[in-house]
Amino acid sequence: MSPRNKVARGRFALLEALKNRDKTWNALAPRYGVSNPNPPWKSSLIAMCDCLDAGGALPVLDRRHAEDELADSVYSDIPEPERQLLALAHTMLSRGLITESDLANRMRAVRARLEAV
Amino acid sequence: MPRSKPPEKSQPSAGKARFKVGDRVRVRDLPNLFYSRTQMYVRGIVGTIAACTYQDVIPEDEAFNRDGRLEQYYIVRFRQKDLWPEYPFDNDTLQTESPERWLEPVDG
Amino acid sequence: MSHAHTPGNGGADHPAAPMVEEITDFEVLEIAVRELAIEHGLFTAEDHRRFTEWAESIGPAAGSRLVAKAWTDPAFKARLLEDAVKACKEIGIDWAEPTGFGTPSDYMNLRVLEDTPTLHHVIVCTLCSCYPRPLLGMSPEWYRTTNYRRRLVRWPRQVLAEFGLILPPEVEVRVEDSNQKCRFMVLPVRPEGTENWTEEQLAEIVTRDCMIGVALPRPGRTADVHPMHKARRPVKGQAHSGEAAHESKK
Repeated sequence: MSPRNKVARGRFALLEALKNRDKTWNALAPRYGVSNPNPPWKSSLIAMCDCLDAGGALPVLDRRHAEDELADSVYSDIPEPERQLLALAHTMLSRGLITESDLANRMRAVRARLEAV
Repeated sequence: MPRSKPPEKSQPSAGKARFKVGDRVRVRDLPNLFYSRTQMYVRGIVGTIAACTYQDVIPEDEAFNRDGRLEQYYIVRFRQKDLWPEYPFDNDTLQTESPERWLEPVDG
Repeated sequence: MSHAHTPGNGGADHPAAPMVEEITDFEVLEIAVRELAIEHGLFTAEDHRRFTEWAESIGPAAGSRLVAKAWTDPAFKARLLEDAVKACKEIGIDWAEPTGFGTPSDYMNLRVLEDTPTLHHVIVCTLCSCYPRPLLGMSPEWYRTTNYRRRLVRWPRQVLAEFGLILPPEVEVRVEDSNQKCRFMVLPVRPEGTENWTEEQLAEIVTRDCMIGVALPRPGRTADVHPMHKARRPVKGQAHSGEAAHESKK
């Protein structure tokens, strides 16, 4: 395994702020009486992981090793599939594929778009 | 690993397979130079060829996006007792895959 | 969502299925990461749509049909054991989807492992979580845990017992570690009491866990229900959800 997989050393304030178990699908689904075991964005997340591998930006084995490492440390308290999503964002930030400020800005823009009336 | 292009196994053969089903082989204990899929727990252990599977690029090249060398892959069967001396069940086995360069013949 | 129009005692009309009616940060994060990746040229929106469509189309039902057909059609079983990728096409599963040469992690090599009364297979990937996705869909969360991956190769009978599967010592337990490019699926032994069943009936008892090898098919068992349950009042900070029982043995 290459040393670049040591992704768990850093923390990202943006992602730390999202570590809210109360907003994970496990917590929300029963509250709304939803029986689907996975959130609607899960298949999109899986597809994103496949796309990143297919294009060579983030090979599957590197991603999985990083996920394992982060699942046992930084995001151990968050259930799947939110944990996989946080780990993917974390790994992409660690590798410089995206930046924290771009991501923060984009999240604000996406939320504004989804909440627009 | 990146599969942005079709796999190489449609390419011409890498040559004749060195081992056949039933041959006894030992997993070599080569240094890990950056990347390998050969797990530590089988290194140095003797097993039996259970299947000659396919020819493909070796992981050591593929990980670095090189076109890579083609090599024969095998499924190797081990007795669990050979992997873990304290293993209590005589009949149990474990199989795993290996490219040819990680295997060496065992006489007898 | 208001259900005011719904008859109280469940009449003929179907109310809309409930939805989670709030936008979570996780949903926003997934979209934001994806949009940035597309803008940076890491993949295209069309690639992503194609892979999403594929991800939503797969599930263990294909594997169940494959096993049921192998149980009822000896010639098909022979073809399946000879060249599984080719035999999959007969039930409409093409391992070349969605790219024409398979997905990045589902190489086009599949081997079906046939159980016998004295041989039981179980699959794992110690390296990551390699899994026959075109046939079984996405792997269960426990399959990806380090707990399952580390312990199955070394203490397989202990792990199987935690799934409620206890096999006598005379049955050979064979662990298949899919650490390279072959994907594996278990073809279980057809259980007694299923004589004269149709393929459709048979497929119902071939659940995902039976094809991984942590359960055996039997009449009446049509779902993978694990003995461990989510704690009603979990201790704060404890391992979460269904993984708790597995993780606790780490």
